[in-house]
Formats: sequence, C-alpha cells, structure tokens
Amino acid sequence: MNLASIAVRNVGRNRVRALLTVLGVAIAIVAFVLLRTVVWSWTVAIEQSASDRIGIRHKVTMIMPLPLRYAEEIRQIPGMTAVAYANWFGAKDPRDENDFFATMAVEPDDILAVYDEVQVPPEQVEAWKQNRRGALVGDVLAKKKGWKVGDKVRLRGTIYPGDWEFEISGIYTASRATVDRSGFWFHWKYLNEALPPRQRDQIGWIVARVADPSRSAQLCRTIDEKFAERDIQTLSMSERALQASFMGMFSAVLDAIDLVSIVILAIMGLILGNTIAMGVRERTHEYGVLRAIGFMPKHILLSVLGEATAVGVVGGVLGLLLSYPLVERGLGRFLEENMGGMFPYFRIQPAVAGAALALTVLLALGAAAIPAYRAAKLNVVDSLRRVG
Amino acid sequence: MTQATNGTPMIRLEKVSKTFYRDKEALEVLKSIDLEIQEGAYEALMGPSGSGKSTLLNLIAGLDRPTSGKLTVAGADIGAMAEDQRARFRAANIGFVFQTYNLMPVLTARENVELPLLLAKLPADERRKRAEIALKVVGLEHRMDHLPRQLSGGQEQRVAIARAIVTDPKIIVADEPTGDLDRESANEILNLLERLNREFKKTIVMVTHDPAAAERAGTVRRLDKGNLV
Repeated sequence: MNLASIAVRNVGRNRVRALLTVLGVAIAIVAFVLLRTVVWSWTVAIEQSASDRIGIRHKVTMIMPLPLRYAEEIRQIPGMTAVAYANWFGAKDPRDENDFFATMAVEPDDILAVYDEVQVPPEQVEAWKQNRRGALVGDVLAKKKGWKVGDKVRLRGTIYPGDWEFEISGIYTASRATVDRSGFWFHWKYLNEALPPRQRDQIGWIVARVADPSRSAQLCRTIDEKFAERDIQTLSMSERALQASFMGMFSAVLDAIDLVSIVILAIMGLILGNTIAMGVRERTHEYGVLRAIGFMPKHILLSVLGEATAVGVVGGVLGLLLSYPLVERGLGRFLEENMGGMFPYFRIQPAVAGAALALTVLLALGAAAIPAYRAAKLNVVDSLRRVG
Repeated sequence: MTQATNGTPMIRLEKVSKTFYRDKEALEVLKSIDLEIQEGAYEALMGPSGSGKSTLLNLIAGLDRPTSGKLTVAGADIGAMAEDQRARFRAANIGFVFQTYNLMPVLTARENVELPLLLAKLPADERRKRAEIALKVVGLEHRMDHLPRQLSGGQEQRVAIARAIVTDPKIIVADEPTGDLDRESANEILNLLERLNREFKKTIVMVTHDPAAAERAGTVRRLDKGNLV
C-alpha cells in the first residue's frame, strides 16, 4: 500500500461518477483520435509524395486545361524520364450514383512509369494498353463492385455526359499505403476521340518523373519559362507542392478540425476537473484526518493529482481501445472504400495515439491542479470540522 | 482510577490564549490558560459547548497554534513550530482518536492502521507486522481484512485506536471517543483507553461530554468560557 494505490482506490469511491467520467474521457479521446486521423489521412499524401515527380498545370487554375502538345514538348526537355497526362473524368456507376470513386482518363504508355508504386501484373498492363476501352481499377474498388478482369462496365459521365462502356483490363494494388486503391483509369484517347472537335487534344494536367530529384526545382522553372510567352502559361511544381496547393483549398476545413480536436480535449479537461473538485470537496474531512496524523500538504497534493492521473489514464486507454476498432475497422474501412481519393489510408498513427494519451494525462494534471492545491492548503482544524 | 504518571510534565501550557477572527470580530476562545499534564496521565476535559475544550485539545495535539503564551509538548515548543515541523511532530508523538472514527472507507482495517506508518519509511513487511500487532492489542485481529463499512461502530473506533497507537506515540488525544457509540461499545473503548494508559504508559487527554467517560480518567478538568475552572 502507498499513496498512489490509495489514490487509485479513491477513484472508485463513487462508481457511477467515476464510470461516467472515464466514459466522458474515453469518448473525448475517440473523437480526438478520429479528428487527428482525418487530418493526418488527408495530408499524408503531401508527406509521402515522391521527390522525383513533378506536376504541371494551367497557371491560372487546375480546372483549366493545357494543350496536348505541351506534354510532347515537355518530354523533349533533358532530364525527364517519363511524362504522362490525365483528365478528370468524373463518372459514376449508374447502379449507385451516390458512390464516389476517382475516374481519370490517362495516357497509358508512361503513367505506370510515373506512378511506379501502382502495381499491375505485366500481362494485364499489356492487355490494357492494347484495348482502347480497357480500364485499370484499384483492388479496393474492384472488390467493392465485384468487378473482375474481363468484365464489361458501364459508367455515366457527369463532366462528359452519356454512358461510357469499358472493359476491366487489370486490377492494380499499391506498394505504398497512401495510394488511392479505389481509382478507375482508362485510355485518354478513348475520351479524346469521343469529344467534339473543339474540345479535343486538351489535357487536365501533366505529371513527369525526373532523373535527378535535386534538379526538380530547376526543371520546373525551365518548363514554366518555356511556355511563358505562349497563350497558355504553365505552373510547374514538385508533387509535394502540387499536393500542398491542392490541400490549400481545404486549409480552412483542416484548421477547423484542428481547433475542434483541441476544444474536445479542453472539454474533457473541464469534465475531469469538475469530477476531481467534487471528490476533493467531499473528502475534505478525510484530508483533515490525514493532515492530523502527520501527512504533509505535498502528500495531499500528490494524492489528488494521482487520482486525476488514474482517471485520465483509465479513460485514455479505454478511449484508445475503442478508437482502434472504430477508426480502423469501421469508419476507416468505409472511408478507404468510399472516399479513397481523399482518404486513401485511414489508420491511427502511433504518434496520434501517444499524443492522445500524453495529452490526457497532462490535461488531467492541469485540471486537478487547482483542486489539489486547495486540498493541500486546507486548514487542518477547519477540515476536521467539516463533515462529508 | 490510578494513573501511570511519573511526575515529569508531558504537556505544559503557560499563559496560553487562542483568539479566532470571524470577519473583523475577535473571539477569545482560550484565555491565558496555565496547565501541566504529567507523563502517563489520563485526563478528561469537560465543559459546555463553546467552552474551548476542543480548541485546547487541538493546541495540545499540535493541530493549531496559540495566539499567545508558551506551549510545550513532549519537550518541544510546538507553539513556535512551522506547519511542516508540527506535522512531523504529530506523526512522531501524537495518536488521534476522533468521535466519528474517521477511517478511510477504501482501506481495510489493517491498511487503515498501517496508514500513519507510510510516513515512517518502513518496509512494507514491517508496516504490516506492526499494524497487525496494533490490531491484536485492540482485539480485532480477526477483522483485519474487513472494510470499515463491514465493522460495527465500536469496532471502527477500536481500529481508529489501533491507528492511533501503531506509531507508538507518547500522547493520545481523544475527541469525544464514545460520542457516537452505545453504552456497551463505549465501555469497551474506555476500557481500552484505560489499558493503554495503564499498560502502555500512554499519556491520554480526552475531551468528553459524557460523565461516565470522564469518571474513567485520573483527572477531570473543566473549562468554561475559555477558562479552566
């Protein structure tokens, strides 16, 4: 027996209150972990972007197209090892129009060289390249839709209206967790040939792989200078910068999520502080007895802080135990399957779990600081006079 | 009864006064008290409510400091001690018995008795052994692992007495130790206090309203309006 074990036992004095407080802390931790995982999952593509990959888009905005010939011209610039291009297609499965997945018309010859983390069996790659209506789909999407190689698929265009027929040529996986495995890639030429003449030969963006990552910035400048005097100027940047500029559109949302996660912890701190303060008030007489028999103010202080830490740790651990199945198996799986473009890899990071637990303990100590200080400073005689 | 005194003063108050302040009003609860209690004495303090007997007991126990005068207990000038020094003094020299027992509800009888020994930095085995001996002295060796709620009032007070003696203090202060007990349990507690005084030579100072309890003490002192009468 020691003061720490007594503090832990004191937690269970009022079981209903202790249970509700622990549950409150646990729920706050689940919410915190969930929100932090949303932010992490959303931004992880920036952190894990390839250093030898660059993106080129219209200087004004990403939604304005570039001429197809720019891709060929960029391919001629020394230092480029692979150049591909793509258009956002934005089609839906007519069987379930609410189900979102990324559909893109891509240049097939170099796209898998640029995105070498996308893994497709060689014979499927070959079959895809040979079939103008062929499509490569991510394994997560294929599993969800029940698609197999050789299946005929019909999608309904939104940006490009009408029903579009495809044949699944290959199913890709990925060597990196952050790749969207719910994508649908098909031949850019299939799209281009179906468009009216005035809309043809326009591409959404260009992606390229460079031989020397240390020259990426210089190559970006070279590309932009090359098109600086044309009607349509380019904006070239590293994949990281491209991802960051894309995420910049959501920065307010991410900031809001950040703020909400902090507010949740602050509320948790208040709940804990209230519980500890109530316990201290109820046990004033007992603290008086402890002080009478020789315990020092520091012992009382540590006892109250120990009690708060115990509640925080139990609530925090319970919260993490609930978070893993909820986030990784429930919501995470759902998001990866249904919103893979935004959340390709939705998993709790050890750093987030560690931070949640550490912040819980710190907040518990912070919340208990004032009640603990007051308990330690109680006048012995006054405390003994107080009953319950 | 016969007290186990040896003529050496254990507690000495010289012109001790205690004044409380409520808002701006001064209330002199003890008025220039002179008192000497011998080592091994068993003394009862009686008096009506508000007479100052609990305040006097608190001063003797080192829970509070006099406003003026000199207070010497077990050879130490506790009136001049700082709070932490008085806490250490209490842990080493004073055993407390309260009217409402004041046991920790989450601790067993043995653990409650062991509580003051946490301050003595003894090994856990030694603490346990001493707590068990103290519980044997009060006749509760068969209830060691019971929680306070599983004990009767009399048994709880015996555990409290075991807690008071486990550090082998020189002085036991008891504030209405039989106030919450039926007559039979009260007699058991009074017998126990008597035994602690007689066999273990403890100096006991007891505040009580109960004339039957006061009769057990060797000396009965009465307070009225802050004066010993």
